[in-house]
Amino acid sequence: MEIEGYHFPDDLYYDKEHYWCRVKGNVVVMGTTDFAQKMAGEIVYVQLPLIGKLVNQGKPCGALESGKWVGRVYAVISGKVVEVNEALEDSPELINQSPYDQGWMVKIEPANLEEELGNLMQGDDLIRFVKSEIVRVAAEK
Amino acid sequence: MYLFDLGKLPGQGSMLIFHALARMGVEALVIVSPKSPLASIGYFQDAEKEIDLSYCRQNGISAMRREVGGGATYLDENQIFYQLIWKRSNSRFPVEMRRIFEELSIPACETYRRFGIEASFRRENDIVTREGKKIAGEGGGDIGNCMVFVGGILLDFDCEAMSKILRVPDEKFRDKVYKSMEENLTTMKRELDQIPPREEIVRTLIGEYGKRLGNLEPAELDDRLVERMRALEKWFTSDRFLFKKTRKVPKGVKIKGGLEIRYGIHKAKGGLIRTVEEVEENRINEIGISGDFQFYPKDDLANMELELRKTECEEERVHRKIQQFYEEHHIEAPGVAPQDFTTAIVQSQSEVSE
Repeated sequence: MEIEGYHFPDDLYYDKEHYWCRVKGNVVVMGTTDFAQKMAGEIVYVQLPLIGKLVNQGKPCGALESGKWVGRVYAVISGKVVEVNEALEDSPELINQSPYDQGWMVKIEPANLEEELGNLMQGDDLIRFVKSEIVRVAAEK
Repeated sequence: MYLFDLGKLPGQGSMLIFHALARMGVEALVIVSPKSPLASIGYFQDAEKEIDLSYCRQNGISAMRREVGGGATYLDENQIFYQLIWKRSNSRFPVEMRRIFEELSIPACETYRRFGIEASFRRENDIVTREGKKIAGEGGGDIGNCMVFVGGILLDFDCEAMSKILRVPDEKFRDKVYKSMEENLTTMKRELDQIPPREEIVRTLIGEYGKRLGNLEPAELDDRLVERMRALEKWFTSDRFLFKKTRKVPKGVKIKGGLEIRYGIHKAKGGLIRTVEEVEENRINEIGISGDFQFYPKDDLANMELELRKTECEEERVHRKIQQFYEEHHIEAPGVAPQDFTTAIVQSQSEVSE
């Protein structure tokens, strides 16, 4: 779906830190949203967790830099990191170019998937949240 | 919000302070300078690729990684840093990164103005004078549960020292970096022919930030904070943190937003080509080409450099320009084709094979 010019694929789950996840069999793929990448501008560096690391939902698991700001990457789901997108190390701009596809960040073997998906947003909840974020950013201008 | 007006701190204290406060969740404005010079690299930079560590060691310049963004820089007592730390949940601060920089740069710009220097914020997070010269660099990041914004008022800046702490491919490149900094950076001393009294600048800076932040409660370094800084220093000076590797190879040195000095090396059949180019908004301002290849007529190498000025740093355009120059000037360069020069100029260092 499109929310005021920002793309949010319907089949994904979203958190309030502006990260998404996609359930693919036994693995969850995560990355950042179109809204977040547009707010950040050109992403120039990304640091992702090591394979095997245990991450916790809503907690930092990496970092990225854009416009001289070092921000956090937040885990959307708890579990064990099974793969990271190594292409981002050389080409972090993939996050800007393709946030839901080539710009994916981490694959996680979830520890508590069903319960944690309940903490994430889709549909009307997502629309309400994104619109409130757009209003919040607009109010600053 | 607390105010730490700390004067000059020894060692890495001037940088450790904001890292410690952010981890402790203390909202504060810190005004501080380093007592002795520091070579500071951005969070994602590779110390060994960016900094001439042996030069730094020989000259007593401490190298440290900071947890905020931006590139390698030289810090000394002629810079007054403003460091703002606030909790992520504090709704008095902007959430959008661009707004954070724009809004929190205003007090620094106003400080410059109060001393007669017209300065304003520019995208890419620099403060520039009316003539477009950089007079402060800024950066920020999320640390602990806080957000941190840092910048520095330049009383004076030692461009030579800055150019010496950088790890560069050769002295020609270092010289270009130095000259470009001399041309594109400025300071209070350069703008006013003198440095106003430090206390006056600090008072003004605090006053201007006070207008934006409200009441600032003076605070001092207490035992708890000093202890936290000491603990952090151990981590910050550890090999594991300082020499953290990054795969990305620097392709140049950023002088200010939109302006950088890049270098290229390419081994052609006819010899090694080295280039040093000043690139502004992705266009070549100036370029120097050297190497051990043959090029006839010899004088035309300088003319080709001139011809490349204002060319967009994009492979097809650069190649077309060089190809045309070869044809018009009947260039003979055995084993060195226009594509070889193009490769040296356009490809970043990480992609170039020697």
